[in-house]
Amino acid sequence: MSVSRPGKSSSIAQTPAGSITSPQAQARIRRRQQVNRLFAFLTFTPVFLALSLLTVLFFDVLTDSVSWQIVEPRNSGQSFALSQAFGSRAVIRLELLAQGKTSEEIEAFFADAEALRKFKARNRVELMWYTADGPFRWIVSNSRDKRISDIGLFEGWGQRQELLASLKEGQSLYLNPWFDFSFFTKNASRTPIMAGLSSAFFGTLWVIGLVILISLPLGVGGALYLEEYAPDNRWTRLLEVNLRNLAGVPSIVYGILGLSVFVRLLNIGPTVLAAAATLSLLILPVIVMASREAIRAVPTSLRLASYGLGATKWQTVSKVVLPNAVSGIVTGVILAVARAIGETAPLLLVGAAAFVPYSPNSPLSKYTVLPIQIYSWVSENDAEFKHVASAGIIVLLIVLLVLYGFAFVIRRRFRRNW
Amino acid sequence: MQGAKLTAGSSRSARELGLDRRGGRSRRETAIAALLLLAASVSVLTTLGVIVVLTSEVFGFFSQVSILEFFTATKWTPLFANPSFGIAPLVSGTLLVTFIALLVALPFGLGAAIYLSEFASEQTRAVLMPILEILAGIPTVVFGYFALLFVTPILQRIVPGLNFFNALSAGLVMGFMILPTVSSLSIDAMQAVPRSLREAGYGLGASKFALIIKVIVPAALSGIVAAFILGMSRAVGETMIVTLAAGQRPALTFDPRETIATMTSFIVQAATGDQPAGSLASRSLYVVGAMLFVITLGLNVLSQQVVRRFQEKYE
Repeated sequence: MSVSRPGKSSSIAQTPAGSITSPQAQARIRRRQQVNRLFAFLTFTPVFLALSLLTVLFFDVLTDSVSWQIVEPRNSGQSFALSQAFGSRAVIRLELLAQGKTSEEIEAFFADAEALRKFKARNRVELMWYTADGPFRWIVSNSRDKRISDIGLFEGWGQRQELLASLKEGQSLYLNPWFDFSFFTKNASRTPIMAGLSSAFFGTLWVIGLVILISLPLGVGGALYLEEYAPDNRWTRLLEVNLRNLAGVPSIVYGILGLSVFVRLLNIGPTVLAAAATLSLLILPVIVMASREAIRAVPTSLRLASYGLGATKWQTVSKVVLPNAVSGIVTGVILAVARAIGETAPLLLVGAAAFVPYSPNSPLSKYTVLPIQIYSWVSENDAEFKHVASAGIIVLLIVLLVLYGFAFVIRRRFRRNW
Repeated sequence: MQGAKLTAGSSRSARELGLDRRGGRSRRETAIAALLLLAASVSVLTTLGVIVVLTSEVFGFFSQVSILEFFTATKWTPLFANPSFGIAPLVSGTLLVTFIALLVALPFGLGAAIYLSEFASEQTRAVLMPILEILAGIPTVVFGYFALLFVTPILQRIVPGLNFFNALSAGLVMGFMILPTVSSLSIDAMQAVPRSLREAGYGLGASKFALIIKVIVPAALSGIVAAFILGMSRAVGETMIVTLAAGQRPALTFDPRETIATMTSFIVQAATGDQPAGSLASRSLYVVGAMLFVITLGLNVLSQQVVRRFQEKYE
């Protein structure tokens, strides 16, 4: 602003003391400072908005994973104080007692693995935070229990008294935490209250395990070639250009490639292996670029020293360069893997089935993974699946936060300044 | 190359001693180099694979559908019994969502970049930058959930006539998703502006505001424009937010309240249905995929060109 007025600034230079203390100059300085402050504030706004959005998102996911429910138990729904039961077995025992079974019958029930499995399949032992009998109770809810209504956390808190007053005979009001221990042990289900992410969690473990097996050697190998071996020729330049552009290709295009090549052409079908191969191609450019950076940071003097001791190229690369670049490579791989864990679109194409109620047991099993499971829960019509989806999102975000934390710590801890 | 020379030297002395290991050693070295070259070439194979798969299906598609119909027809209903193949509704849907996303991401991304690069202290930046990066690291399906189940209900109270599935909330949330991409690349560009330019600006009596607007942003413009283009490319290729929150009904409209379909959400829709391979409906998926590939690749190349051509070089 004031830069473009050279006449005025030259007058300042002539009579500095007088002009700085003059009211006009003071006013001008104040105006400049105001403009600066306003501009700083304006540019801070988007940062603030982005941070608030992040906070609101986390808050929304957390609060959506809890809801008030009015339940009409059919043949179950006993609730027990925390002191009465700590483990699910103890709650099952109390539940069976309440159903009028004798202690011998209960022992026989626990001895019979099949009966116990069936009980667990149809019943959910859960911690209800607030019931008519008081806060923090264990209950056994049954898939046949009738769920009268499902009310959001805050809405329900406001109407708590009216809701309690409106309860009919036999109904009770619960605060249901959808994210609890049983959420990890249950498989996919068509009934919201019975749905869990066990199969999706193990599916993700399988897929990501294979992704690491495939992409780590390819990515690090490719980076080593480009940094240590590649001569300066056309093929190398093509590799470089190609790598740069691949990183910008939308993930869904990799899905199309995976669908045509892995699922159909190689006839692997919609399996863990096809998913892992597709995701490996997707994160390969990321791993190569991160590894190259780490390899480049290893000083040439170390390589020369190694050659001076009579080492061959590969001895130098494997015994000197790689060990010194490993922390950077591991950080890059962790971040790339975190990306692969959250990818949904390409897996929808290579046929991650939405409903897989079992965990994979081989690379050629059908599978589902966390983000796919969340996607299918979000797109369900039943509004209660919203809570299941948010519980799933909590798990996914925790997994990612742990990985980002690892990457952060490794980068901090093992960074070397040469 | 240096290593090879040294190897040759040491093995010559080995031969004099009668311990010739040269053959085995160099053969192993060559084999390893070849293996590493193979690993590096996987990325080229990927690109080739994408191009071959897409072009073969695209040729198959256009042998049955006229190119004229493809570009001029205004209905996109390839999954219907009586299909129509006009790409326009998908393109308009993609443009609409991208436009809304950029409306958020460009000014906000640049603003955040200016704040973090010019106003924030070293410590503030060290705290804020990783948090902003988290925004870019959140899986898109989570953003889709957020747009559909949190943003849309709020917007429905403010905007009259807003559909449950709409372009507006998908675009807004997507804008925040690509904001870190735009801002972190812009920050890199602004940090690369040399100190001497800043000091010269201050020396001329510029206020901080004038310095940023007249010196730093113009000097970093190539990097900032490249960041914008890259952000656009990400918006075009984004899939899960639009699939979940914008709906899957192709409509030739620029009304942000409407339910639309984008190129990416159509691909998901076509792939999750049961289209037999080789059918025209299945081929339409590849044609849309090819367009998406060409558009995003073009944008990426453009962004690199902008940096290469217009970057100001300082000594």
